[in-house]
Amino acid sequence: MTNSDLYDVATVSGDAATTTADANAARNFGPTVLKLDGIVKTFPGVRALTDVTLDVLAGEVHALVGENGAGKSTLMAVASGALAPNEGTVQIGGAPLTSASPDEARELGLGIVRQDPALLPDLTVAENMAVGVGYKRVGGLGRAVAWSQRQLDGWEMGIDAKTRVIDLSVEQRFIVEIAKALALDPKVLILDEPTEHLSLEEVQKLFRKVRELVAGGTAVVYISHRIPEVKQIADRITVLRDGQVRGTFDADEVDESQIVERVIGRKLETVFPEKGSATGSVGADDRLAVTDLHSDEFHDITFAVKAGEIVGLAGVQGNGQTQLIRALAGLEPTTGTIAVGGTPISNGSNAAASAAGVVYVPADRHGEGVFLPLSVGDNIAAKTLPKVSRGGMVSERRIVQTAVEQIKRLAIKTPSPRTPISSLSGGNQQKVVLARTLLAKPTVLLAEEPTQGVDAGARVDIYRILRDAADSGAAVVILSSDGVELEGLCDRVLIMSRGSVVQELVGEEVSEAAIARAALTSTTVRERTDADKSARGVKLRRWMRGDQSPAAVLGAIFLLLGVVVAATNPSYLGAFNINNLLFMAAPLLFVGAAQQVVVLGSGFDLSVGPLMGFLVVLASYWIVDGGNLYVGIALMVAGAIATGVINGFLVTRFTINPVVVTLATYMALQGIYLALRSTPGGIIFGPIADQIQARIGIVPVVTIVAVVVLLVLEFALRRTRWGVELRGVGSRIDAAGRLGIKVKRTQFFSYVLCSFLVLPAAVIMMAQIGIGDGRPSLSYTLSSVTVVVLAGASIFGGRGSFIGILAAAFLVQQVLNVSPFLGLSQAWSYWLPGLITLAAAVLYAQLRRTRRRKRAVAGIPREPRTPIASPISSEGSAS
Amino acid sequence: MTTPTTTRSPSDAPTGGSAPAPNAVESTWRRMLSGSWVGIVVATALLFALSPIIAPGSLGAAPLLSMLPFASVLAIVAAGQTLVVQQRGLDLSVPGMIALAAVLSTGLPQNYGWPLWAAVIAGIVGPGIVGLVNGILVTYFRVMPLVVTLGMNAVLLGTVFFVADGTPSGAPAALNGFALDRTLGIPNTLLIAVVIVVIAGLVTQRSIIGKRLTAVGVSERAAAALGIRVNAYQMFAYAFAGLCYGAGGVLLAGYTKTPALFLGDSYLLPSVAAVVLGGTALTGGLASVVSTGIAALFLTQLGQLLRSVGWQDALQLIAQAVVLIGVVLLRELVPGLLRRRAAHRASSRESPPA
Repeated sequence: MTNSDLYDVATVSGDAATTTADANAARNFGPTVLKLDGIVKTFPGVRALTDVTLDVLAGEVHALVGENGAGKSTLMAVASGALAPNEGTVQIGGAPLTSASPDEARELGLGIVRQDPALLPDLTVAENMAVGVGYKRVGGLGRAVAWSQRQLDGWEMGIDAKTRVIDLSVEQRFIVEIAKALALDPKVLILDEPTEHLSLEEVQKLFRKVRELVAGGTAVVYISHRIPEVKQIADRITVLRDGQVRGTFDADEVDESQIVERVIGRKLETVFPEKGSATGSVGADDRLAVTDLHSDEFHDITFAVKAGEIVGLAGVQGNGQTQLIRALAGLEPTTGTIAVGGTPISNGSNAAASAAGVVYVPADRHGEGVFLPLSVGDNIAAKTLPKVSRGGMVSERRIVQTAVEQIKRLAIKTPSPRTPISSLSGGNQQKVVLARTLLAKPTVLLAEEPTQGVDAGARVDIYRILRDAADSGAAVVILSSDGVELEGLCDRVLIMSRGSVVQELVGEEVSEAAIARAALTSTTVRERTDADKSARGVKLRRWMRGDQSPAAVLGAIFLLLGVVVAATNPSYLGAFNINNLLFMAAPLLFVGAAQQVVVLGSGFDLSVGPLMGFLVVLASYWIVDGGNLYVGIALMVAGAIATGVINGFLVTRFTINPVVVTLATYMALQGIYLALRSTPGGIIFGPIADQIQARIGIVPVVTIVAVVVLLVLEFALRRTRWGVELRGVGSRIDAAGRLGIKVKRTQFFSYVLCSFLVLPAAVIMMAQIGIGDGRPSLSYTLSSVTVVVLAGASIFGGRGSFIGILAAAFLVQQVLNVSPFLGLSQAWSYWLPGLITLAAAVLYAQLRRTRRRKRAVAGIPREPRTPIASPISSEGSAS
Repeated sequence: MTTPTTTRSPSDAPTGGSAPAPNAVESTWRRMLSGSWVGIVVATALLFALSPIIAPGSLGAAPLLSMLPFASVLAIVAAGQTLVVQQRGLDLSVPGMIALAAVLSTGLPQNYGWPLWAAVIAGIVGPGIVGLVNGILVTYFRVMPLVVTLGMNAVLLGTVFFVADGTPSGAPAALNGFALDRTLGIPNTLLIAVVIVVIAGLVTQRSIIGKRLTAVGVSERAAAALGIRVNAYQMFAYAFAGLCYGAGGVLLAGYTKTPALFLGDSYLLPSVAAVVLGGTALTGGLASVVSTGIAALFLTQLGQLLRSVGWQDALQLIAQAVVLIGVVLLRELVPGLLRRRAAHRASSRESPPA
């Protein structure tokens, strides 16, 4: 099948398109460099792509346009190897993409800049670039900073290659992503909604780069829903709607309205019910009245919505609309008044808003709208449980009864009310959300992007439902990025820009063109809030945010505590006590480092304590008077590595929750050593124990060894590929996978290394207790966690420092050593570690939270919180 | 190969026809293995059927009566753990909670002269309050449940040491008598466990509170969007769990007469194992307290059986760990295998209808 054949099919299918194949031939583009043939992709319940065929030629800018949810991003995920298609083939530069592998696509010459940049937030820009383009290309990690800086300087965005990505603004992150893709000299470059976060000036900068690239023979796929921009940059335009190609056109031969018609694919009049302002069903009194509402993201908001009225919120994404509608639902903290039916409701309380009759239909349907594992019936009844229950007890029968009524009323396509909602299509899931909403008889109905990702048929029904809700007396607020939808539904539209309402369109003024104009003209310039740039300020702040600042604080507390106690009791500084302190700190250093290694890779290991006991008991059979030392050591090494392998294997191969796996190994190891030695036995060979306890001056040798090991680990963490990848995996597991880091292998080895680091701790404990007994080891599990938490590591992985572990371990031991000098009872030996752990965890959680809030003010999305107590998701969800 | 422009999205067809015929088999398996009581009931019935064959006489009155009190305590404790797991947490403070309950109900009367009733209430409410603190730290202070409960466990053990002043106390005779006594031939501990598990089961499964707890466990964000007080429900879960641990701890203290200070240590893994065996996913959401209770019976009987064939207590720990990992693996692997087989069958049957 030839190129032009396919092309014809596409054109024919787009009903009235002219035959552009001839025109194409006249324009001297190069050969096809990206060829997608018959791509079909389905997700549970949704058919995202149906038989999509696309040819992209060398030297052209090929735009892919379509609404949200039309399948643009899914198609490009298939092209870039991030998703495997159910059917169809991908060819890049003439070579077929044999498996869904981002690495392979990259090798073949495909670069992609995603809407959601694949960046590892806790790593620096330079480290990100090194991971993204390959260590060889940047000349090794050592040269990554200089290399990255060169790539970024051309953009004049003030990006420092040593900054962490998490501290960059959204547009800076985007430029990093683009620079990363360009550094690979791709044959095909995919830009997915590249201008979403850029200012006008930056958009022009980007366009200049794109033209340079194309002139050099690169093909650029430009995905956007901004038609004017597309007209400006594209050579050819392919329209995608509902997962199908609706035609490919020469950019010169179609005008905006023709494109829009194909993108939307429907006639306005037939779709929308008549407006309330037209039929006169709008009430007289204000149902929702907002006065002087303020938050971090918007200010001075005052407006009112009458019963029966539908008011739209519009504006370019990220101008405070989302936060405003969520604030009305009580999901964001605010100051000012929100009154429902004349009564003010307490700010920032979702329960108060709900009790006043405010119902919110969220945009993120999977994350916020539905309860995926629950049945359709449970989802429908979730908000109105008291109506289906008596005396606080819910009746299943009445849930099903209610659900059946609603299913019939809203024409929800589901096999039964007991079907899990996850198996329904997007449109039907949204109808379930609306059914739930209507059952609550809302006084105020807030709908955010109510038809996103919904197929055309269901869309019509949803418009009807929203109108009916208004007609039955609700005040309705709709936030939508779809101007057509706002035009068709709303009696009034408020345009938001930079956090305030800048314009109100009423009656006849409400049209898609007016909405777009108002939104775009008011936001052409984005303000850039540059904090003070003085070199010292920046350096200090970077250090404060860095991984090493907790270590300094802990070190200071360590010294302070020592000085205070020594002042009251001089024997504290005696050689015996110092030697003891340093010696006892050594096993803490090792188990702390061990725990740190797994936590960095967003894992967890509860089994470190009993593993020490198990190894000591193993040793107590051989490292005794007349035993064989080497067999003993070999057994210990084997036991440690075997434990790590089992933990790592179960966690990574079967994606079992690491806490459960290591809790099981915790118990099993404990069982084994108790089975071997139910009472202490096997005196450790004296000379060996003495050797382990050898010291130089008053400093034990093992402590020196431990410090050296930690310093080596710290160096490796910063300067080697292992360290970068481990932090990358812990930082954002999905992005790490997309960047080609072997996520599972990295995590597997983190468990093995962890267990291996427990080995020296076991050796020290063996010398210290001098007999085969596992029981004293159990407390080391808590100690290891205490040390890691104190060291200020992000317990969600990705950040942390072994210097911090060093300081934390010494501090913990100092605290334990101090207590007898202060005459504290034995209960304190439990209280202190527990209280320190809790206090440090609370403190760091608060610090993180204030930082996150600050970042939110700067318009940077929150870091995804993937608690380690949930299993690693092996498949990324479809966006 | 035409693309008609008038078609609506084919997604209206349910599930896109990816797994047609073996659906029934697969869903039965899945139901057996996750979030349902069928699997554990079958397993428990099998275990009891096999018991007399493996160890003759192991179903006699004496062994049963010695096993049931321990199963009862585990069932009560695991009911609490179920609630925490439902909220995507994992409660590692179980040992400390049980020890606290035991030391309060035994130590307070002996060392401080409290009346028994007050000591028992303190033993139940004390852990409940600690559970509430756990909940506050998890919800308002956003600390990971694992770190909170691990740290809290150490704090609790310190408190136990402090209250007991280092030496275990004997349970008051009345408490001991009650725990050992039988009503109509049924051990009192079992009766209490049944009452607690049934009440907890009804509340969590059938009441409005329970439905909302499930909603919060499935998705905090979706629950918040509905107007549910997410933090309040999560705190309730932790506090209720604390009450369960307290009740379990008091009963255990009464039954063992002179409870060791750290008698709770051996209940941590079994409580987690019972939750997992009962079909509650560790990812939160759907949970069944009653299934957990049956799983507690299963685990205790398994232990009893192993003991009667001569396994020492240390080996029991290994057995429990193996059972836990085995069940998790089974649940992880079987649906995957079935799906693969279904996909294989579907693809070999030539293109399914679009």
